[in-house]
Amino acid sequence: MTETSVTPLPRAPLHAIEIWSNPAAVATRFAAAGVALPPMGRSVQAEGTLLMRFEPAVWLAEGDIAPFAELLGEDGSATPIGGGIVRVRLAGPGWRTLLMEGGVFDAESPEFAPGCTAATIIEHVNVRLHVENADACTAYVPSSYAQALIDFWHEALPLLRG
Amino acid sequence: MTGPSRIAPGGETLGFTFDGVAYRARAGDSLAAALLANGVGLVGRSFKYHRPRGVLSAGVEEPNALVTVGEGGRTEPNTRATDLFVYEGLVARSQNRWPSLGVDFGAAIGLFSKALPPGFYYKTFFGPAKRWLRYEWFIRRAAGLGPAPTLPDPDRFSQRAAFTDVLVVGGGPAGLTAALEAAEAGRRVILVEQDAMLGASLVRDADLPAQAWLGETVDRLHALGARILTRTTASGYWDHNFLSLTQRLAEPGAIPTHCVAQRLWHVRALQVVLAAGAIERPIAFTNNDRPGVMLSQAVRTYVRRFGVLPGCRVVIATNNDDAYRTAQALAEAGAEIVAVLDARPRPADVAERFPVFWNARPASVEGSRHHLRRVSAIVDGAERSWNADLLAVSGGFVPAAHLHMQAGGKLDWNEGAQAFTPGATPQACVTIGAAASPPASTVSAPVGHPKKSFVDFQNDVTLADIDLAWAEGYRSVEHLKRYTTLGMATDQGKTSNMLALARLAEKGRVAIPDAGLTTFRPPFTPATMGLLGGPAARHAGAHVRRIALHDSHAALNPIWQPLGYWFRPRAYPRGTETLAQASLREARSVRTGVGMADVSTLAKFEVTGPDAAAFLELVCATSVSKLAAGRGRYTFMLREDGMVFDDGTVWRVAEHRYLLTSSTGGADRMAAHISYVRNCLRPDLRVSAVNVQEHYAGIALAGPRARETLAALAGTTLPRHMSIEPGEIGGIPVWLLAASYSGERAFEIYAEATRIAPVWTALAAAVEAADGCPYGLEAMELLRIEKGHIVVGGEVDGRLTPHDLGLEKMLNKAGGFVGASGLGRPALSDRGRRELVGLEALAGTIPEGAMLVTAEGCPPEGHVTASARHILHGGSIALAHLADGRYRHAEELIATSPTRGLATRVRVVSPHFYDPAGDRYRD
Repeated sequence: MTETSVTPLPRAPLHAIEIWSNPAAVATRFAAAGVALPPMGRSVQAEGTLLMRFEPAVWLAEGDIAPFAELLGEDGSATPIGGGIVRVRLAGPGWRTLLMEGGVFDAESPEFAPGCTAATIIEHVNVRLHVENADACTAYVPSSYAQALIDFWHEALPLLRG
Repeated sequence: MTGPSRIAPGGETLGFTFDGVAYRARAGDSLAAALLANGVGLVGRSFKYHRPRGVLSAGVEEPNALVTVGEGGRTEPNTRATDLFVYEGLVARSQNRWPSLGVDFGAAIGLFSKALPPGFYYKTFFGPAKRWLRYEWFIRRAAGLGPAPTLPDPDRFSQRAAFTDVLVVGGGPAGLTAALEAAEAGRRVILVEQDAMLGASLVRDADLPAQAWLGETVDRLHALGARILTRTTASGYWDHNFLSLTQRLAEPGAIPTHCVAQRLWHVRALQVVLAAGAIERPIAFTNNDRPGVMLSQAVRTYVRRFGVLPGCRVVIATNNDDAYRTAQALAEAGAEIVAVLDARPRPADVAERFPVFWNARPASVEGSRHHLRRVSAIVDGAERSWNADLLAVSGGFVPAAHLHMQAGGKLDWNEGAQAFTPGATPQACVTIGAAASPPASTVSAPVGHPKKSFVDFQNDVTLADIDLAWAEGYRSVEHLKRYTTLGMATDQGKTSNMLALARLAEKGRVAIPDAGLTTFRPPFTPATMGLLGGPAARHAGAHVRRIALHDSHAALNPIWQPLGYWFRPRAYPRGTETLAQASLREARSVRTGVGMADVSTLAKFEVTGPDAAAFLELVCATSVSKLAAGRGRYTFMLREDGMVFDDGTVWRVAEHRYLLTSSTGGADRMAAHISYVRNCLRPDLRVSAVNVQEHYAGIALAGPRARETLAALAGTTLPRHMSIEPGEIGGIPVWLLAASYSGERAFEIYAEATRIAPVWTALAAAVEAADGCPYGLEAMELLRIEKGHIVVGGEVDGRLTPHDLGLEKMLNKAGGFVGASGLGRPALSDRGRRELVGLEALAGTIPEGAMLVTAEGCPPEGHVTASARHILHGGSIALAHLADGRYRHAEELIATSPTRGLATRVRVVSPHFYDPAGDRYRD
């Protein structure tokens, strides 16, 4: 049986993309470029970049955002934030249960399916989640809390069967 | 043979001790069952009178058999022997006795019971409060429960969330049926059972078909994916169908697997089904608290579940039919039923398998240490007695409606059962099974001596105590509870409340439902402090936030300082330097040469967009829009009431791009404020405000040699004061900001946090080459106090306006910022407001936090917010809040701290002790 694992991932470019005006027009421009801006709580893969929406007007972009700058035009901007975030992959059969330790979000819901995103609190730390596939989820953790939260998850791993 | 014993000895594979005596138990035995199986009927001493107490029940309602379990940090006092399953090596001790359980000198208190009436404390301990300190010593030793452990708990505690469609509380037949129905309907189900096994009444009373049904149902539930939690108690029912469950992952005192002893579940359920059953009521009569008096269903449980015979010659007293099943069980196990005392009148055409006495009520018992010897009763008005070692009593059943009431539900009176049953509830919650429909029983007035007829076993409250409280005017049940302590302590009156209500109703000559009700509050059963603290209990409730340069600092072996959740270097001592010596050396290095400090924790926001300036002019109380690109300025922020709540700097990085910094301690508050302004006040603005506190790490370089030190590294034109330039250090792109917090020429160098380490390394080498050093928070504090710079949490305490802090000249004349309207309130212009001042000691050292008074005994007119010394030439200085402070320069005051016995004379001066014109850092 595959064990559940907690693995810090290498740094990746992360940007907060905010659209402050003409959201419909921006969405149309993105769509014309083949990118459907995901709705709240969802993500899309577009040209090697992962777009995740956690806030009404803000998307988290993981990867190269160069193609999006022109699409935003004067209606939005992209701000780099990757220096302050550690990505942690929770993989294996117990990742959903692991997220319930110290959590407040229903990560065990079948509706929290691959492609879903959520912003929540785990053990008092603000964390953003993205379900990669049925067996893995990526947590975006503030760098300063990352070590403490990773330790917390490692200590909780043996409890998953409890 | 008399007393409790094992029905068929054998199979005892577990060893445990009770009060140091070794015993054997079977796997699955509760401690109570194991003690009874070993002939031990005396388990504890009562709270107040130290009366001998045995086992009353077989569940969590147990008021008597409280023990201390475990050793060292795992010690758990006040554990119910009925709710603890024996494991190999279990160590249990009785409580509240001296020198031993069998010979307890505290029992002498019982001789003076007349002197210990309800309200004893209120009636006795008059006089000066100091006397209480003397009383307390004796009272705490004479009365009480088990002592709390003194060592840290070595185990951990988990807290886990769960969401479900249906939460079923109670693993008996009703709960199992409800859970199965929900699971088969495709709903997510959690089933909670506080026992170690499912079945509840089926374990006690089931025939073979029922046992088979139990097994099949549990298998089916598992197959359908239902989550079944045994050894788990639904302890709290809160708003919005939120429940807290306490789960024992290890028995009390045992070494847990994976070091986690208990788990606190936070469950949100769409629907809650309460199937918690009913609790049997005792009967009041003389000495009804003695070992050998047990609840009828409990006796049946010990016989059928644990194979233990609590007595050989048994009298049963009842007012309902259920107790006859106990008689049957006892008879099948080989006990002799010497009498069944039924309080009801003889029915017509009844077939009696046992010697039944109708219209009969127990009056008194006599006993030896571990069991009874004799039972007396009033039968048809005449007294009769029997030799018996056990009296099983059943005074009816009380539905376990605790969670229903916690949920805000009402109770209805059920005349047939003589009990309250769950009524309407405002939450999505339903009660089923015995908790909704308890068995019928009748009213039976007690016939024993009121002074020895116990109602609340755990608090030694008798019928006479209730009568006395009534006589003294206590009519409300809530008052009665607090006056007599009835229904308090670890069992929260689970077996006593209805008896007390019946007595209260009798005294008031009203029906029981008219006597009133007390409130059931969480937790249903006691919870350990560790469980409530959860994992955070180990580090004071907070994670350690690591700065990006943590390892670089750690290599210098600094003194660490918690600052909020952050850990930052306080000073970098060399050799045998003390904190004071190190920080003074570091501060002098900044004043005379160069020093560097980590300022990564400052709040930072990147604000972009065509309306960025307009947005910042809303957030900041200073003007922003006039800043040229590449320039910055000091700024501060107000709450809507006009009070300063944070300060920092704002930098125009590009035409539509700004960097806003603010204090470390106020970072989260500032993030919330910016979100509020952005999303609530002006969602129409074309702006993006992103929290980049952790994206950028920062290093401050300060001192008269800072410019030359940095110039050699950056290889570019350095920005002039309050300007910003991009640069590169050690191959890493950085922002160079010229700003001074120390009062010296200074720069802040920001880089992406993941790339800051090489920048620190390069700067550290350059600083060392310039005979400088890194400096920590303590030196930073010395520098900023001497310079007269305010700090959030110190001088900025949320009560001062810009005028109070001497910042009014910086206010944006155009207004429009958050707090501008609040500032216009007339009261903020009144005299007498506290204002920022400096203080110089006339002698000695100014105590931080000291009050400022004009003379001894006068009321305080302000306080010292921060205290330091002149860095280069000594002399105690401080910053302070003082009423009308700006008009009192040169006045002499006393800075006094009576709690520390410190006082010194001070002179009021300007808060700027060092280079007030700013010549040292301006270009």
